[in-house]
Amino acid sequence: MEKILEILKSIRSDVDFEKEERLIDDGILDSFDVVSVIGELCDEFDITITTDMMEPENFNSAKAIHALVERILDEE
Amino acid sequence: MSYTSVTFLAFLLGTIIVYYAVPKKIQWVVLLVASYGFYLSTGVEQVIYILATTIFTFGAGRLMQKFRDDNQAKISANDQLTKDEKRQMKKVVTRKVHTVQVIAVLVNLAVLAGVKFTNTIFRNVNELFGFFQWDASLPLVNILVPLGLSYYTFNCIGYLIDVGRGKHAAESNIGKFALFTSFFPMIVQGPLCRFSDVGEQLKQPHKLEYNNLKYGAQLILWGFFKKLVIADRVSAIVLTMFHSQYSGYTGSHVFFAVLAYSFQIYGDFSGGTDICRGAAQMLGINLPENFQRPFFATSMGDYWHRWHMSLGAWMREFVFYPVMLSKPVTRVSKFFRKRFGSHAGKIVPSVAAPFVVFFLIGIWHGITLQRIINGLYHATLISSSVALAPVFKTVTEKLKINTQCFSYRLFQMLRTFFLLAISRIITQAGTLRIALRMIKRLFTSWSWDFITGADGTIYKLGVDQKNMSILFLAIMALLVVGILQEKGVKIRESLAKQNLIFRWLMVLGLLVVVLVYGVYGPDYNAGDFIYAGH
Repeated sequence: MEKILEILKSIRSDVDFEKEERLIDDGILDSFDVVSVIGELCDEFDITITTDMMEPENFNSAKAIHALVERILDEE
Repeated sequence: MSYTSVTFLAFLLGTIIVYYAVPKKIQWVVLLVASYGFYLSTGVEQVIYILATTIFTFGAGRLMQKFRDDNQAKISANDQLTKDEKRQMKKVVTRKVHTVQVIAVLVNLAVLAGVKFTNTIFRNVNELFGFFQWDASLPLVNILVPLGLSYYTFNCIGYLIDVGRGKHAAESNIGKFALFTSFFPMIVQGPLCRFSDVGEQLKQPHKLEYNNLKYGAQLILWGFFKKLVIADRVSAIVLTMFHSQYSGYTGSHVFFAVLAYSFQIYGDFSGGTDICRGAAQMLGINLPENFQRPFFATSMGDYWHRWHMSLGAWMREFVFYPVMLSKPVTRVSKFFRKRFGSHAGKIVPSVAAPFVVFFLIGIWHGITLQRIINGLYHATLISSSVALAPVFKTVTEKLKINTQCFSYRLFQMLRTFFLLAISRIITQAGTLRIALRMIKRLFTSWSWDFITGADGTIYKLGVDQKNMSILFLAIMALLVVGILQEKGVKIRESLAKQNLIFRWLMVLGLLVVVLVYGVYGPDYNAGDFIYAGH
């Protein structure tokens, strides 16, 4: 979880990722930010995040992103 | 059979009666028969294309499903398998599924491009031969472009990708799949839709609901109003101004031409979509929205979330995101982020993805220099809005501009409208050279006498003073409805809450307006929906 927060902060230092629960729904992160996040997650955790996982519910909060990474690690 | 013809209305009524009269289990069969009946009315030869695409796509979907199911059965039958072995098996199947998916998508695209573009490409090559004065030419081929080719092909590609990604299972009944590709309200000009949404709805039984009939009929009537009272009335001005008399134009003429075209294309396309969505709603099917008041867009990005939304959604899902997540783009993006900071990293995908998407949208409208330049123009605007976002932020902060008030929103709307006006001139002018001349005149010469109607020439462009007044009032009505919808008012539901007399006065009033003021001249062909050609 800390790693994820670190990645998110490196991409958007102006957002409080520990509190925000509607990063996508409220337009805090746009699709270009999400792509940057995905790029970092893939490198950090050696996972593959595909287009079909680009759903708002997977990126609305740090917790949701953490759950997505856990799920992929488990499946892979 | 045009959506605005009496024949279509009779056909729709007949379909609705049979649809609700038969047992619910076979309602989809009624829709399939009606859809193929509708399709056959445009020509027998055309059916071969849609049938071939349907059978091929259905087969590819089944094959992908079979690979997955067989693998699952093998895993379930053998409980000795380790996690690693299961993972390996899954990888092999994913590769097989991916291969089928790629081949099937490419075949669909090849048919689309072959049918749509062969002659255009041959013509361009012949022009090139002529330019170099070579004595050679490619013979033009007599290809029939089937009705709705782009729309059903895009729907099939979406289906193949979704099945390939495992978003939903492949359809097992070819009849039900054939209904998804041919459903008559969406075959002529969309909206594009997903099998998981509309395909599933089409398979379900639907009981007769008064609200669906009422709201559907009201939407059809509103679509007729936009198409017949506005778009077909204003089309005479567009025809005159863009296709014949541009040489004596001042900037105000150009501005008026663009304004006219904006209302024509919106009335035509969104009116057509309202008729399609209304017809589907009467059958209990909700088709996705295609327009959300594009005139109120505050940026080009916002515009593409409001105009031809189903194409935008399709492009986002199947082109934009895959390009942004592709290895080369993410690699370069990362390189820039590490070297020059997070904003630089964001610029790379923001440049790459819009250029691919808008280049495709450009050629989808036709392989011409003007369409391609227009696509690149949109991509440049969208990319630069992302790239320059920090600059805009600093400027507005430094100048202490309030970005949260109505006047700023109005400024944003006018700015977007102006940027779109340039785009419309690029695509509508006879040639690129004429387009550039027209854009130049927007900034250099104005004739107030023309725009105020003082010299009377404004009424000599194909629409006389009386019809111009009707047009003005109709556009005002369109804008009032738009403003109400922007404020969150659901027009049809609000109307349902009014008293009986007022309700009927409004609906009958609109019907009378359509009947009396709809354009039905002797040489007028109501079948010509602009987007049916794409």
